[in-house]
Amino acid sequence: MSESPWEIVIGLEVHVQLRTRTKVFASAPWGFGEEPNEQVDPVVLGLPGTLPVVNRVAVEQAILFGLVVEATIPERCAWDRKNYFYPDNPKNYQLTQKDFPVTLGGQVEIELPGPSRNVMGEHKMIRLHHAHLEEDVGKLSHSGSGSLVDYNRAGVPLLEIVTEPDLRSAAEAAAFLNALVTMLTQAGVADCDMEKGQLRCDANVSVRRRGDTQLGTRTETKNLNSISGVRDCIQYEAARQIRELEEGRKITQETRGWNAVNARGYVLRDKEDAHDYRYFPDPDIPTLKIARATVERLQKLVPERPFHRQRRYMEKLGLPYTVTSVLIADKALADWFEAAAAAYPQNPSGIANWVANDLLRDLSAATSAPDAFSEPSVAKVSLVDCRIKPAQLAGLVKITDEGVISKQQAKEVFAEMFRTGQDAGEIVNAKGLRQNSDAGELEKIIQEVIADPAVAKSIAEYRAGNEKAINALKGPIMKRTQGKANPAMIDQLLRKHLG
Amino acid sequence: MSDALHLLSATEIAQRLHAGTLTSRALVEALLIRYRNLNSKVGAFTYLSESDVIAQAEASDERRKQGKTLSSLDGIPVAIKDNIAVKGQPLTCSSKMLAKLISPYDAHVIEALRAAGAIIYGRLNMDEFAMGSSTENSALQKTYNPWDLARIPGGSSGGSAAALAAGFVPLALGSDTGGSIRQPASHCGVVGLKPTYGLISRYGLVAFASSLDQIGPMARSIDDCELLLNALASPDARDMTCFDQGQRTLLPPVAVNQLRIGIPRGILDKGVGQEVAAATRAAIDFYRAQGATIVEVDLPSSDLAVPTYYVVATAEASSNLARYDGVRYGHRSSQATTPVEMMTLSRSEGFGPEVKRRILLGTFVLSAGYADAYYVRALRARSKILSEHLAALEKVDMILTPTVPTPAFKAGEKISDPLQLYLEDIFTIPANLAGLPALSVPCGKSQHLPVGFHLVGAPLSEKKLLAASRVFEASHPYRHQQAPL
Amino acid sequence: MAKGFDIDHLAKLARLQLSAEEKALYSNQLSQVLTYFETLARADLPPAANVAQVIEESALRADIPGQSLGVEAVTKIAPASRDGQISVPRVVDDES
Ligand SMILES: [Mg+2]
Ligand SMILES: [Zn+2]
Repeated sequence: MSESPWEIVIGLEVHVQLRTRTKVFASAPWGFGEEPNEQVDPVVLGLPGTLPVVNRVAVEQAILFGLVVEATIPERCAWDRKNYFYPDNPKNYQLTQKDFPVTLGGQVEIELPGPSRNVMGEHKMIRLHHAHLEEDVGKLSHSGSGSLVDYNRAGVPLLEIVTEPDLRSAAEAAAFLNALVTMLTQAGVADCDMEKGQLRCDANVSVRRRGDTQLGTRTETKNLNSISGVRDCIQYEAARQIRELEEGRKITQETRGWNAVNARGYVLRDKEDAHDYRYFPDPDIPTLKIARATVERLQKLVPERPFHRQRRYMEKLGLPYTVTSVLIADKALADWFEAAAAAYPQNPSGIANWVANDLLRDLSAATSAPDAFSEPSVAKVSLVDCRIKPAQLAGLVKITDEGVISKQQAKEVFAEMFRTGQDAGEIVNAKGLRQNSDAGELEKIIQEVIADPAVAKSIAEYRAGNEKAINALKGPIMKRTQGKANPAMIDQLLRKHLG
Repeated sequence: MSDALHLLSATEIAQRLHAGTLTSRALVEALLIRYRNLNSKVGAFTYLSESDVIAQAEASDERRKQGKTLSSLDGIPVAIKDNIAVKGQPLTCSSKMLAKLISPYDAHVIEALRAAGAIIYGRLNMDEFAMGSSTENSALQKTYNPWDLARIPGGSSGGSAAALAAGFVPLALGSDTGGSIRQPASHCGVVGLKPTYGLISRYGLVAFASSLDQIGPMARSIDDCELLLNALASPDARDMTCFDQGQRTLLPPVAVNQLRIGIPRGILDKGVGQEVAAATRAAIDFYRAQGATIVEVDLPSSDLAVPTYYVVATAEASSNLARYDGVRYGHRSSQATTPVEMMTLSRSEGFGPEVKRRILLGTFVLSAGYADAYYVRALRARSKILSEHLAALEKVDMILTPTVPTPAFKAGEKISDPLQLYLEDIFTIPANLAGLPALSVPCGKSQHLPVGFHLVGAPLSEKKLLAASRVFEASHPYRHQQAPL
Repeated sequence: MAKGFDIDHLAKLARLQLSAEEKALYSNQLSQVLTYFETLARADLPPAANVAQVIEESALRADIPGQSLGVEAVTKIAPASRDGQISVPRVVDDES
């Protein structure tokens, strides 16, 4: 495949609703599903005489995000007014941070899709320019000749995360958003539920000939509200720009919209119509001094970064890539795994397999269908309700490893543990599942099996040096012990008898 | 005796209520009679619910009977400038834009007054959105100076000053962005204080220019002014620029013979009327005779104050007044078919000429390509003005000037010349830019019209300013002169 | 100091519709005021403005829900409403 002569350059501005109980500058509550205009107080409505008061938790969530992405937390941050008239904007200015944002710089590690699902893809660091704390606007809906405004969403805290133009493809943009969502949710900063509009994205796209060092003229597409929308829009827009340039036309710097229904972009306004936002420092909110003690306190809440965790699992615990990518996608699941592995450090791989396969499968089946908008195959599972506790799974793996029960029996025990929350040992005792380790009885069965002419060929092969041929004898032995035999002991006795 | 109830000071009323020789209801009824007879001449009030104020007075008398009096303000009427929110009452800002708005909430100062038992007594006329120095910019009605009904009362708190001078009410709230309490106080012969920025919560004060606006007390005497100030100045978590408990310790008063008073060099030479200058000199001589030290001070950037003020104030105003668009409340044009048209027409119909002029000016000084030359430079000039004032106030306790260069002008005289009108505020503006407390005290007459002097002090020096002027007031009892109504 | 201003552009930015007379009047008055502002352009000023007020985190609001106005109070003061929402002429360019 020959490389395209064009390079795509993408920068994203991501708006995330922070997880707080009240609005960013008003104590009115917010949350999904309320009746229109029920989450509105005099401040949210911008009634004359009202004033903003900054929500401490919103600031702390923003700082915590900054620490998660290794950003600089400046000594001071301040708010500005962005002036523009729109019916969903109660004051006709938006409180935002232009010159002194709450975080500066930072980076997000992304993983590009690998050659196959089982193989790790290329990793890349995407630099952030900054993140700032601002307020959301109300919601417009249209009916006939009119529009209706609901201000419930007005004033909801938004963190606007702005990247450097470091992304080079639609796939990278999608990978970035996935990584960002993972970090935001794992830190408890935001829920990122795109169905509820909790994450929205503006995409700045330009193209240039490979090797050029100057950036091309960019366009900004506003208000993309799903990761697939971002991917489709970037593909569309890059293709459009390349076509324009190849046909000898110029790209105009413009603001665009995206129609997700017909998967087409359209022009909202060109540079001539660009807003003059008349930014100035908000005189109602003093400059905020961020104490270093606050930063240190929040630093302790920063969870291990997902890819760091993945490398640790692979390198220190010897887990395979596929299992680690399932675990790290869900912080609660990974934490659960680590608790189990700590209770039985001898076999982290065995525990990881149970968690990533059996536990996750049974939890998903027990929970409702996974969220249609969460694009990576991260099932929304509730470990809180899980009856099995980490130490109990560790116990199951331990008795399996010790040969107390067979792997086959362990599956049965696991199912019972998942249902009842009992310890593995209790179930094994109650069901009489203890694996047969009586050497005398086993030796008798083995002698009978060896004598069977049906296996003579396998025995000959084994004796001729084919190690694997011995396995053909194990099935019949297991069958005659009804699965209760200890596989290690079978192996040992077989070898003794076959000399 | 009862026919003179309208001249009593709040302090005297409090004594009589306490002694049981007067009830709040009797007081309010006397004041209502005066209101009915004379408000149509003066035009101070734009709204007053007689049944509501009588009910409040009765409730106060009932509390007193049960020994549950809330404070020394209990039962005493306070009239409210129409840009301070009172739940269930109009909040018009004397604008067509908000002519029909009933406030669904109380300002912090209103909550504080209610907690003190004061009677929330009617709404006072003002320049539209507090923009003006004559109260002629009201879209609702005209207000006249009780000392000469052909003249303006000053502004923008013209209704507040006129109501006090007319004996409608003993106490009133005003707001001051560039002199809007002190200038009408001077023109109407009453006391007006603009507190240190941050001392009184702005929650519920309709914003004109947020970094300059302060609510302040207005009264007919220094004691009354201080009584009202004490009731208003308390922490409020709803205004982030309002001081919290630990930041609001007022500086102690200074004895008059220890006082150092600064006079800006050459202050009386340019543009100050002869009689205003004479009254100011007399006040300076008085303080000197009392043993105060009079010092000349330099404030080299004084000539920057007015342009700096108009850049900062209009910039903030253009943004603060953007919310009046006919969408959520207030006037909505019936002519519009698109949201842009609706907002544009609602604003064009709802705002008066001075408001439009300032919105346009403020929009310009913030606009792309001009903000650095105007708005950003004005912020730098503001810093310079502040540091010069703080440096001067290291050497002296307070700075004394006239409040206004000339006495109240005739209605209609200056309204056509905005620039000349802006110069009315030349002495009062620096205190707003620097966030300093400032007080206007009646000090004499220019012909038949009152004039005041103006004191500016260091942050939180309100008690110093009040104590110094109390000494003056004691030997210059102008308040006992009644406006000839 | 730059002095030119475009009254039509300013009026559009400020969402004001001005008659021809108003445009002439305001243009005239604005240019007078801006001429007066030239003292600012000539003044020797500090390189940057001071930060007016600084607060610490303790001055921020705890994240504890307070009272809403209630949809009735919101629609009561609204010039036009339907089904608990504020109604306006149809918004075409739906971006924010
Ligand atoms: Mg953006
Ligand atoms: Zn934003």
